[in-house]
Amino acid sequence: MRSDGVGAGGRKTPGETLGDLERTRLADLLVRVATQQDRTAYAELFGYYAPRVKSYLLRLGADNSLAEEIAQDVMVSVWRKAAQFDRAQASVSTWIFRIARNRRIDVFRRTRRPELDPEEPMILPSGVEAPDAGIDAMETETRVRAAMLGLPEEQLLLIRLAFYEGLSHREIAEKLDVPLGTVKSRIRLAFLKMKTKLGDD
Amino acid sequence: MDEPTRAALASGRVDPSVGLFLDTLTAMRGISDPVGEAIAGAALESEAPASMSPNALDMAFAAIERGAHEPKPQLVYPELAGTPPVLQKAMLAAEAGHGWSFYGPGISRLPLRLGGKAKAEILRIDPGVAVPWHSHKGCELTLCLFGEYTDRDVAYGPGDFTLADASIRHQPRAHDAGPVYAFAVTDAGLRFEGFLGALQKILGL
Repeated sequence: MRSDGVGAGGRKTPGETLGDLERTRLADLLVRVATQQDRTAYAELFGYYAPRVKSYLLRLGADNSLAEEIAQDVMVSVWRKAAQFDRAQASVSTWIFRIARNRRIDVFRRTRRPELDPEEPMILPSGVEAPDAGIDAMETETRVRAAMLGLPEEQLLLIRLAFYEGLSHREIAEKLDVPLGTVKSRIRLAFLKMKTKLGDD
Repeated sequence: MDEPTRAALASGRVDPSVGLFLDTLTAMRGISDPVGEAIAGAALESEAPASMSPNALDMAFAAIERGAHEPKPQLVYPELAGTPPVLQKAMLAAEAGHGWSFYGPGISRLPLRLGGKAKAEILRIDPGVAVPWHSHKGCELTLCLFGEYTDRDVAYGPGDFTLADASIRHQPRAHDAGPVYAFAVTDAGLRFEGFLGALQKILGL
C-alpha cells in the first residue's frame, strides 16, 4: 500500500497518479487545515502540491521565478480557501488545479493565447453530454481515473495536452509534429473510449 | 461528446471574458463539469515535482500571517458581495483601476478589461430605470447577478441568463423594488451561438 507515499520527496515516477487511499489522506489533511489551522498538515500538502503546481506553470511557459511565485500564491490560497473545500465534490488535486488554473488565467491572460483560434471554433454543433447528475463528483473522479488508466500512453498524452495544458488540436499537432487530422481522430478515439468507461456501471 | 468544448473549459483556454461568465454562471447555479476537471486534477498529480526554493514553505506561512491582518477590500456596492468569489475578484480589480462610470441616466457600468476578444462589464441599473432600446453589433450574453428586470416581456432574476444576437433590439427595465446588477459579455466575432447550445447541454439546462 502506498498510503504514506505523499511526503515532500519526489519518489513517484512521473506519470503516476495517486491511489484512493492517498487521495483520501490528502483530503483529510486539507480538512485539518480548514478546521484546525493545522500547520503540519498544511506543510505536507505544500510539499506535495507546490512542486507540482510549479511544474504545471513551467509547462505553460512561465519562467522559473514566475512559476515559483505563482505556485506560492496558489498554496497561500489553499490555506485561505481551505474552508471552501468539499471532499464530496472534488479531490484535493482537482480543487487545487482549479485554483492554479484560475490564478494562471489572471496572470497569463495578457500575454498568452487570449483568443480562440478562429480556424478551430471551440464549439462544435455536436452535443456535449451533461454529466450524470445522479453520480456524485467523487465517483466521477474515480471513474475518470480508471478510464485514463485504460488509455494507451499516446492517447493519454493527447487528453492531457487538451484538458490540462489547454492546447487546441492545432497546437497539439504542431507540438507533436503530427497531422491535424491524426490529432483529431486520436483524441476522438480516446474520448470515445473514456466515454464508454464512464458509461459503464 | 464534444471534447474540444470540455477541454477548453477545464483547462482555461476559453476567452477570459467568456470563461469568467461561465465560471460565474456555474457557481451561481451550483453546477460544474467534473469530468474535464478531474482529468486535469489527475494530470497535476502525474507532474514531476519541480524544485521549490528551500524557504518556500516559510514564505508561504509568512504570507498567510500577513494576509490574516490585512483588511479585506470591499466592493463599492454591497449587493454584489454575494456573487461568486471569482467574479468578486475581477470586480475588485476593476474598481481599484478605472472604476464605475456613468452610462446613462440611472445606469452605470464597470468594464472588467480581462483581455481577449470579448468584452465583459457589470451594469448597474437603478430601480425602475429602463436601458434605452438598443441592439448589438455582435452577440451579447447577459447574466442577472442581483435584482430583477423585465426584457421583451420576460422577467429575469439572479442566475438567469440570455443570449441576444445582432438582430434583437431590446430594452431591459429594472423592477421598482431595487437596483439590478447584470454581467454582460459582448463578442467580437466569437461564435456564441454554438457556444450557448453546447453550454446548455453541459449544464443540463
